[in-house]
Amino acid sequence: MQIAVIGTGYVGLVTGTCFAESGNKVICYDVDESKIQALENGNIPIYEPGLSELVLRNASAGRLRFSTDMAESVKDAEIVFIAVGTPQADDGSADLSYLFAAVENMASHLTEDAIVVTKSTVPVGTNAKIFAKLRDWTGRDCNVASNPEFLKEGAAINDFMFPDRVVVGVRQSEVGDVLRRLYSTFLRTDKPFLVMSPESAEMTKYVANAMLATKISFINEMANVCGCVGADINDVRKGIGHDQRIGFAFLFPGVGYGGSCFPKDVRAMMRMAEHQNVDPQILRAVDEVNLRQKTILLSSIEKHFNGQLAGKRVAIWGLAFKPRTDDVREAPSLNLIDALKERDVHISVHDPVAMENVQQLYGDDLEYALSPQDALDHADALVIMTEWGEFRHPDLSEMAQRMASPVVFDGRNLYEAAQMKKAGFVYYSIGRPKVMPD
Amino acid sequence: MRISVIGTGYVGLVTGACLADSGHSVCCVDIDEAKIAKLNDGIIPIYEPGLEDLVERNTRENRLSFSSNVTEAIESGAILFIAVGTPPGPDGAADLSHVFNVVRTISATATSPKIIVTKSTVPIGTGEKIREILDTNGIRHEVVSNPEFLKEGAAISDFTNPDRIVIGTNSAQAMKTMKRLYQPIVDAAPSRRASVIEMDIASAEMTKYAANAMLATRISFMNELARLCGKVGADVKLVQNGIGLDPRIGQRFLNPGIGYGGSCFPKDVQAMIATGREHDSPFQILEAVHAVNERQKSVLVELITSYYGDDLSNHTFAVWGLAFKPNTDDMREAPSIVIIEALLSHGARIVAFDPVAQANAESIWGDRISYTNLNKDALKGADALLVLTEWKEFRVPNLARMKDELGAAVVFDGRNIYDPDVMRKAGFTYFSIGRPPVLADTDA
Repeated sequence: MQIAVIGTGYVGLVTGTCFAESGNKVICYDVDESKIQALENGNIPIYEPGLSELVLRNASAGRLRFSTDMAESVKDAEIVFIAVGTPQADDGSADLSYLFAAVENMASHLTEDAIVVTKSTVPVGTNAKIFAKLRDWTGRDCNVASNPEFLKEGAAINDFMFPDRVVVGVRQSEVGDVLRRLYSTFLRTDKPFLVMSPESAEMTKYVANAMLATKISFINEMANVCGCVGADINDVRKGIGHDQRIGFAFLFPGVGYGGSCFPKDVRAMMRMAEHQNVDPQILRAVDEVNLRQKTILLSSIEKHFNGQLAGKRVAIWGLAFKPRTDDVREAPSLNLIDALKERDVHISVHDPVAMENVQQLYGDDLEYALSPQDALDHADALVIMTEWGEFRHPDLSEMAQRMASPVVFDGRNLYEAAQMKKAGFVYYSIGRPKVMPD
Repeated sequence: MRISVIGTGYVGLVTGACLADSGHSVCCVDIDEAKIAKLNDGIIPIYEPGLEDLVERNTRENRLSFSSNVTEAIESGAILFIAVGTPPGPDGAADLSHVFNVVRTISATATSPKIIVTKSTVPIGTGEKIREILDTNGIRHEVVSNPEFLKEGAAISDFTNPDRIVIGTNSAQAMKTMKRLYQPIVDAAPSRRASVIEMDIASAEMTKYAANAMLATRISFMNELARLCGKVGADVKLVQNGIGLDPRIGQRFLNPGIGYGGSCFPKDVQAMIATGREHDSPFQILEAVHAVNERQKSVLVELITSYYGDDLSNHTFAVWGLAFKPNTDDMREAPSIVIIEALLSHGARIVAFDPVAQANAESIWGDRISYTNLNKDALKGADALLVLTEWKEFRVPNLARMKDELGAAVVFDGRNIYDPDVMRKAGFTYFSIGRPPVLADTDA
């Protein structure tokens, strides 16, 4: 099939590349000329394992092209995917201005049979609005569909090619059939292709993210209470995870969720509910708990140093909002850095891939270490903010030697209490008892 | 092993019967002599599939006995399970007076060291308090927390085929004994997945609350969402399926409805909230979960009054299902209580049916409502049918006959057990939770 993908952000690039990989002819469009230029030169603007290789292969095979020309991109397309950003507006709702601008630009170039599919995460009712606007601009009823994307950054290619399910929202079953054919290459096992109304499909995306965010905030609150009553959240987590109705996934306590989806989607859903006079009690609690959780380590750090933080040296391991991504949007590490800077702390950081993004925000205010151990020299404390695999088995004796004092604040519960005790560390983690050295 | 189980409520009886069935010698003891007399006559005071057979067989084979003599049971048992009630006090915190009374009795009367196991759901820190009470006595008893995760209606299979067995203790010796006690169950569990998870007492106590709190959170989350779906024209059932296929979420416990009830979720969520407040670590999410649940119980009433108006004095409603969930006669905190009381206050007449909870319902409402069964014109003349509990037998009714018997073909389904398309085709006006209403063509 001939496909156009509008927007070359995370979702757009992965969508376009994966459809090219399954044999379709794809043009990825973006208004940003420098971005398109870079892509044509084989420079992928985001970090995603496997993506770069796939882009190059499909581009050189002629199945994947990049363009800043809307007419050229859309005029032969049977399916046009909209994958532009829907950032958070000032009031927390989703800002749809990029989306509607894209729809307006494409309208006059669409073929009669083209299907306009929304991949971006959009509030319920957006699909109906796109349909109405396209009618205004083209004078005919265009085919529209909603097809929310569930990929995870860091595992995006695999998630796209082996989805747990594909959700499409359509008003005519024929439109659903075309999309089913398009996706059939990725659904060769028994994974379901779910056809529903655009409203239900739009809702599904928000609800999935909201439920995951709820699980995280739930376990974080549970961890905080564990800390108060002397229970160990890690045992509790195991105790409830074995319950098949609950499961282990997404029940790891930490320093709060971040990234470009959960915080934004939870808030957009809250605004949606408020507009409908539904009080989003649980969602509000989830959001507030998460904001508080982002500073949970700061309170332990302050307490440990009796509020005397000025002039201290703190090393931070992990900046990205989660491992295997360079994404630092809404990352808890940023909240911590801001708070420590305010208290005149000298900060050295290490992250395997996200340092560049952080440098863009903080410039020379931080020290950027090339390895985890290098970040530790003369540090009064180490704070772990992201659970990169390489932080899991460090050389504890080298760590203790390099640091001015062996104190670790572990926001991801990476280490065992006994191990840290033996190695002579003061060790704080989330929802587990504080450890003092032997 | 010789075991005594103190308290013959739900958890106590099931624990006693199942441990006896795995070969141990068990005495179930209760201060309520009438209850013990009945049990000795083979009369089980609760409805639980399979329990009666199990009690009968193990009593006959002399592994299970009942007694009202607490001191004797304490003396004879090596392991003492405490399974007495912990009802919520006025502030929502669990009332532990029964538990502590038992512990004091043990402390005062036991002449040999015991392993004292709390099966009752008790707030975090209770194990510690139990130890303090015991330490006033010269004998060294061990304290264990072993929370029970059985579901009413599936209690026997949950006990004998558990997802996990949580044992919290600070004593290596007690841990060893407890693992030996459960070994027959671990070995025989059909799923082959049963395992003992070892931890400290506080974490074990916490685990029980955390599990119920998580399940309650899933329900309230979906209920909050269902309200939003209803407003924006999305269908919560499709959304539910769409998110449940994500393995990080899972399909279980995502059914929206009219709120959770029963003797565990409401009580445990409130106890957890109280624990959080006590430690200055307020549980915002659980406070929201509780508030949403309280509100959800009135959702059906709102639908009914907005359809008929506030005055329901000329209306009769047939109600299917009273228990807080299927396969139990338990009416504690059942949403049906709130709903029926509200409808009565609006002047409505109620004709109710539940396969097993009718006796318990009669003790709540007496003749303020009437009772029927499915064979007798249960729906005759009713203005609408209300489905409040998702008993299996309600799932595939004869819709033509239903329509015929009802005075008007209107159904308020609090459990989403029918397909809106099917109801539309059958000519019903059909309201459910978080799905667009089906409004029958009145000219038809």
